[in-house]
Amino acid sequence: MLYKRYIEIGRVCFIRLGDDVGKSAVVVDLVDQKHLMVDGPGGLGRKVVRLNQVALTDIKINIPRGCKTKTVRTALAKEGVEAKLAATSLVKKFAAKNAKAQLGDFARFKNRVAKTASNRKIRSTVRKLKKSS
Amino acid sequence: MAHTSRNTTLPGGVPKLSRSAVYKKRALYKRKKVATVPAVKEAALTKTKTVAGEKNGGTRVVAVQKSPRFYPTEDSKTPLKNRRVIKPTKLRTTIVPGSVVILLAGSHRGKRVVVLKQLPSGLLLVTGPYKINGVPLRRVDQTYVIATSTKVDLPALPAIGDEIFKRKGKPTKNEKEMFVDNAGDNSYKISAEKVALQKEIDALVVPAVKKVDMLQSYLRSRFTLTKGQFPHEMQF
Repeated sequence: MLYKRYIEIGRVCFIRLGDDVGKSAVVVDLVDQKHLMVDGPGGLGRKVVRLNQVALTDIKINIPRGCKTKTVRTALAKEGVEAKLAATSLVKKFAAKNAKAQLGDFARFKNRVAKTASNRKIRSTVRKLKKSS
Repeated sequence: MAHTSRNTTLPGGVPKLSRSAVYKKRALYKRKKVATVPAVKEAALTKTKTVAGEKNGGTRVVAVQKSPRFYPTEDSKTPLKNRRVIKPTKLRTTIVPGSVVILLAGSHRGKRVVVLKQLPSGLLLVTGPYKINGVPLRRVDQTYVIATSTKVDLPALPAIGDEIFKRKGKPTKNEKEMFVDNAGDNSYKISAEKVALQKEIDALVVPAVKKVDMLQSYLRSRFTLTKGQFPHEMQF
């Protein structure tokens, strides 16, 4: 099998480009070869997105094609999708990237100092191990 | 009792009610105030003066205010009064006394520095502190500075103005001295007063800096851009 995650009705996806970056949504319908109709919790609502704006997750829920937003929301709550999403690497990586971008100059400095210190330790331990072997 | 305007303004800046309509609405026919004009004391234009000398008639009627000796040939318009109020430059909201700031120009470019206050001239008064990174008490324009979100809790500092930064003017050359090689050293020398003031300020600011973990080493380091870093995308 070349692909593991398929675009299908009920596939939970993560929006990686555009205005709604970082939000997750469920595929509700297919518009054409390049567009999906998604519906997401919170401020996203129902929206048409391009295929390349979206990254697929492993999570899939059972919903009929083109169902109402209310149905989508109840199905998401029933499956506990929010908790599953928080565990996905896509969401975690996005959150980490965001947090890094929001760092101030002082925080960046502290991180850099900590990184050089840890790198130094790692290198010295590796060198010691090489010597002893 | 006071009320808001009894008239409204329509779009276009036109008042809705005319002057007479407003008069009626305010019932000013009932409330006419007759102002009692105080009687104007007419100032005397002339006075009589006693004149010495037998043949001079004893008294003379003289104008109280002498007419001017000179009249301009044409009446010139008086220029409008200058009502300008000079205020110091509006300081960026991100810059506050105690905020750490990155200098972008000058010999100290890239250095992270503490803002002490805004001077009446509008410039920022800034110091390394000198003990930490070698930046003395210096004036800096806020446009040549990146404000970071880091703030130092500063204690009460002595009052400093723009006066200590004023430089003495160049000595005017005498005609005799023009051909003499001016061997005098006109380069800038730091006054003892400034050195003392710097020590005083450092004694107050450095302990405040040391209270925050790693802040001293942060102020010692210079700001640099590495690959992939773009200032317009970075949060300071």
